[in-house]
Amino acid sequence: MKFRAEREALADAVGTAQRAVASRTGALPVLSGLRVTLGPGSVELVGSDLEMTIRVTTPVQGEGEGSAVLPARLFADILARLDGDTVTVELVGEDARIEAGRFATTLRTLSVGEFPRLPEVPENGVRVDGAALAESLRQVVPAASRDDARPILTGVLLAAHEGGLRLVATDSYRLAMRDLPGVSMLAGDQRVLVGAKGLAEVQRLLRDGDIEVFLAERDVTFRVGSADITTRLIEGEFPNYQQLIPSDYPNRLKVSRDLLGAAVNRVRLVSQSRDTAPIRIRMNPDGIELSAVAQDIGEAHESVEATFDGGELTVAFNAQFLLDGIESVGGSVIELETQDPLRPAVMRNPEAPDFLYLLMPVRIA
Amino acid sequence: MRLLVAQCSVAYEGRLGARLAPAVRLVVFKADGSVAIHSDAKAYKPLNWMNPPCTVTEADGVITVATPKGERLVIEVHEVVSDQRFDLGDDPGLEKDGVEAELQQLIAARVDALGSGLRLVRREYPTDLGPVDLLCRDADGNAVVVEIKRVGEIAGVEQLLRYQERLDRDGTLAPTRGLFVATRIKPQARVFAESRGVACLEVDLEELRGSAPPDLRLF
Repeated sequence: MKFRAEREALADAVGTAQRAVASRTGALPVLSGLRVTLGPGSVELVGSDLEMTIRVTTPVQGEGEGSAVLPARLFADILARLDGDTVTVELVGEDARIEAGRFATTLRTLSVGEFPRLPEVPENGVRVDGAALAESLRQVVPAASRDDARPILTGVLLAAHEGGLRLVATDSYRLAMRDLPGVSMLAGDQRVLVGAKGLAEVQRLLRDGDIEVFLAERDVTFRVGSADITTRLIEGEFPNYQQLIPSDYPNRLKVSRDLLGAAVNRVRLVSQSRDTAPIRIRMNPDGIELSAVAQDIGEAHESVEATFDGGELTVAFNAQFLLDGIESVGGSVIELETQDPLRPAVMRNPEAPDFLYLLMPVRIA
Repeated sequence: MRLLVAQCSVAYEGRLGARLAPAVRLVVFKADGSVAIHSDAKAYKPLNWMNPPCTVTEADGVITVATPKGERLVIEVHEVVSDQRFDLGDDPGLEKDGVEAELQQLIAARVDALGSGLRLVRREYPTDLGPVDLLCRDADGNAVVVEIKRVGEIAGVEQLLRYQERLDRDGTLAPTRGLFVATRIKPQARVFAESRGVACLEVDLEELRGSAPPDLRLF
C-alpha cells in the first residue's frame, strides 16, 4: 500500500477522524490508532472509541491496496507540522513510512486485525438541512451532562414532534429544547437518544447544505461531506421533560442579551470559582441588579436596564449555566421568566419561540 | 492475591473480540475478584483485565474468567514460571493531600462553624513566612489567625504561632488570636497550643461536606 496525497487535505481528514480516537484505550490498545485503508483513488481513515466512530474519505493517488493502523495522535501531529504540498505514505512490512520534502519518518503500525469491526452504515438515509441542524445542536448540546455516571443525561433526545423534529438535552440543572418544524427525520412518534459528544462533532463539521442521517437499530450515522460520524444510541428512558416546563410564570423580565451577558461576565470576576459562582439577579420594576459575593475576595454589583413585570424578587443562578443560556438563546433581547427563587426559570428569545432554556436557580443564604 | 507468571495466550470475548498471542505474562488475581494481565511494559496498565464481580474457573491449563454481563477472558496456560498466593490483609487506603485544601475551602465558606460572630477577611492571607490559611475577625473586630490541618500536631501549632508573631507586628491586626483547627488534634498539640493561648477546635469533614444544602435540580 502506497499513496500520495495533498498534505493539507490529508491532515484535515486525519484531524477529523482522530477526534473519535479513544483518549484512554483500556483493554484495546489498537483503538489509539487510525485505520487507514487504501481503495481506488482514495483512502478511508477511521477512528473509533467504540461509542463514536468517524470515517473520512479523501482523494489520493495510490498504488495497490491494503489497510494499516497508524498511531493516530502522532500521525496527526506529524501531518500538521510538515512542510510542502504533498505527502507520501507507504506501508513497508509492519511499518508506515511517511515522507514529505526532506522529512521522512517510519512509524510502527498497530495490528490491523485487532481493529474492531465497526457497524455498517445503512443504505437509506434522510436528508436534513445542515444549517438548521447545526444551529439547533449549538443551542442544545451544551446542556447535556458530561457525567458518565448518568449515561442517559449525556445524550440528546431526538423526537418526532408535530411533524417536525425536537431536540432536548438536560444535565438536571438546566434543560435546552429546540423544535425544528418540518424536519422529518424520525417516523411517527419515534424518539432516540444520541450521545452529545458525537453530536458536538457533527456540529463542528456542519456547513451549509444538506446532511444525510442514517438511523439503524443501535446507532445513527450523520454524513457530513466526506465524513461519516456514527454514534451509538443510548438505551434508557429520557426524563419526562415536558412536566418540568412550567406553564405559567408570574414574573417576566426583558433585557438586552448583550448587556446581560457582559454584566454577568464582569460581576462573576470576583467569585472564587468563576464557573460555579452564583450570580444574584434582583429584579424590580426599575430594572435589575446583578451581584456576586465571595467572602474573602469581595463583591461586585452592576445594574442593567430592563423591563420587568412581576413582584420584586432575587434569584441566583450558576454563572456558567446562565451564560450558556444567554449564548444559546440568541437574538437581541432575552425574556427571562421566573416563578420564585427556588423553582425553574425559562429563558427565550421572544422572536424565536422554537427554543427554550430552562434553568434551575441556586440556593443563596 | 495470586501472582501467576506463565507462558500463556489470552482471548477476550465480550463487546468485541481480542487476542493476545503466546508470551510470558504476569496474571494478577486480586481478592476483590478482579483479574489483570500484565506484560513487562506499559507501566501500570494491564494488557487486558476484568473488573469484579468475576467468576474464575480453572481446568486443564485453561483459566476462564467470566462476568455476569457475559464477558469472558480465557487464559490458556502453556507453561507456569511461578504461581504464588499471598494474603495482603486490609489496606489502610491512600491518604490524599487534597483533604487540607478541601477543609480550608469548606471552612472558608462557613466560618461560622468555627465560632459565632467570626467573619472571613481572606483565605491564604500573605505573610513573609508564607500564607496563613484563614484570617478572620471576631465579633469585637479582633483579628483571628486560623491554621487548618488534617491531623493537628505540635508542628502545626508552632507554625500558627510564627504567623501570629509576624501579624502582630501589623498595627491594624495586633493583637491577634490563634485558632488551631483539625479533624483530629493530638493531645500533646492541644496542651502545647492551650499553653500558648491558642484555641483548638476539632471539625468533622463529613459534617462540613454534608452541611451544604443540596443543589437544586430540575428532577
